[in-house]
Amino acid sequence: MKTSSHNLVMSALLGGRKGERPPVANPTSIACHELMEACGAYFPQAHTDPQAMADLALAGHEILGFDAVMPEYSVHQESAALGCEVDWGDRDRMPDAKDAPHADFSDVIIPPDFLEKPSIRVVLDAISILRRQVGGRVAIFGKVMGPWTMAYHMAGTQNFLLSVGMGEEDQVKRMLDQLVPATIAHINAQFAAGADAVVLADHATGNLVGPYHYETLLLPLHQAITAQAGGPIILHVCGNCADRLNLFAQSGVDCYHFEWQVDSRQAVEAVAGRISLVGNINNPQTLLQGAPEDVYKQARYAIEAGVNLIAPECAIPLTTPLANLKAIVAAAREGY
Amino acid sequence: MSELIQQIKEAVVLRKVKEIETLVRGAIDAGESLEDLMNDGLIAAMDVVGKQFGSGAIFVPEMLVSAMTMKKGLEVVKPLLSGQAASDRGLIIMATVKGDLHDIGKNIVSMMLEGAGFRVVDLGVDQTVETLVAKVVELKPQVVGLSALLTTTMPEMKKVLEALTEKGLRGSVKVMVGGAPVDERFAQQIGADGYAADAAQAVDMARALVAN
Repeated sequence: MKTSSHNLVMSALLGGRKGERPPVANPTSIACHELMEACGAYFPQAHTDPQAMADLALAGHEILGFDAVMPEYSVHQESAALGCEVDWGDRDRMPDAKDAPHADFSDVIIPPDFLEKPSIRVVLDAISILRRQVGGRVAIFGKVMGPWTMAYHMAGTQNFLLSVGMGEEDQVKRMLDQLVPATIAHINAQFAAGADAVVLADHATGNLVGPYHYETLLLPLHQAITAQAGGPIILHVCGNCADRLNLFAQSGVDCYHFEWQVDSRQAVEAVAGRISLVGNINNPQTLLQGAPEDVYKQARYAIEAGVNLIAPECAIPLTTPLANLKAIVAAAREGY
Repeated sequence: MSELIQQIKEAVVLRKVKEIETLVRGAIDAGESLEDLMNDGLIAAMDVVGKQFGSGAIFVPEMLVSAMTMKKGLEVVKPLLSGQAASDRGLIIMATVKGDLHDIGKNIVSMMLEGAGFRVVDLGVDQTVETLVAKVVELKPQVVGLSALLTTTMPEMKKVLEALTEKGLRGSVKVMVGGAPVDERFAQQIGADGYAADAAQAVDMARALVAN
């Protein structure tokens, strides 16, 4: 196999041949202040301008040496397109929704021009820019929100979880069902724009909701989404999900992006080759507060455990030092 | 424990939010002591719920409904408790720090602290250092509880502690911290008095801090 970033990532993602080293990827944001300064693309423009978005993504490959580029840094592209008022933040602050337009669980209607809404179009355009610049050489990841995450934004997180806790299954399922077409449309639009794989971020987070919630309310939807997706899917669910790895392996995704809270060896054992794994360098203690040596040790531990692609566990803090991100790449370049 | 108190405890544990007010009123009308109703009914129930959460038997959706059930029961009892010293374990200010809009964990902790007999002033989310310090001066709480869900907002906790020290207030108020990215090590680094991993631990921590 030709050793290019693209080939290393895609082969690892699909459980294929190992190249000369494990790839380093970023299913979630690796945007940080030092990276913004190094490439001249900053928040909040990198959320709303396709060129700034693509430039910041490309810096992850050109400056840090990551093998994938991923141009979506917020979780609010879909919610903005579905009617939330989104504050796009600033250099020091991630975007956030200011309201929950369906707190009353009223019907969510996906607008016919959903894919042309500015917050969606910007990502599609950024992916196309990246395709033209590094397509076939570097793996291009898209990212979409799943119905669970979008339901947090539509109904309000606490309100939605309260409804789940009250056992209001019809209401919960109706909202989730109404959001599934948005996820599928966005995934396939990102593939059409040039993505090699798409991250499905759906925050049925460990410690927040249980495996039984995932199994009854979300697993069937993930199976429907992956069946209609036009390419490889990487599932991202935060938190300690050791108790639901077996369910993720049945969802039809090709890979799961996991956190440090799940031990790499146990994760590899649990999925048993049914899906690939990407992760799981700790963000708050190691990447943010640790030294490059600490990062290196964690990366080597994950590589030796058999994790297919090495990555930060989740979107990194904005003040993460570049030296710590480079330590992931250094560990991977030592090979298996 | 009387059957009525047992029913109240079960209603909170089993999340019977629609039945709790009737049950609590029934117990009061039947002459149950308010202290037993609180301690053996509502508070004991949330101890059970806290343990269930800690063991992974239930998760936040169920915890939220139990906490809401407990709060509804408490609202029936509260007006009758005025003047009873036993009902007041101290004043706690709760807040999510500046730049952070996440509040579910803080809300659950606030409800459970109220259930455990503390007076709670919940300042809400996105609270600046200046507001927090001003509230400590104004209200003189025994404890301040700070929450952050984002790694980007954790440093705000340190700023609050530094500001309290600068104003000479650290001797009179304890600070406990929590939230997904926060841990014991971070709490110690910034000089907090306590860290709690979940709501049940936060109640235990508050009890310990007030007792010291």
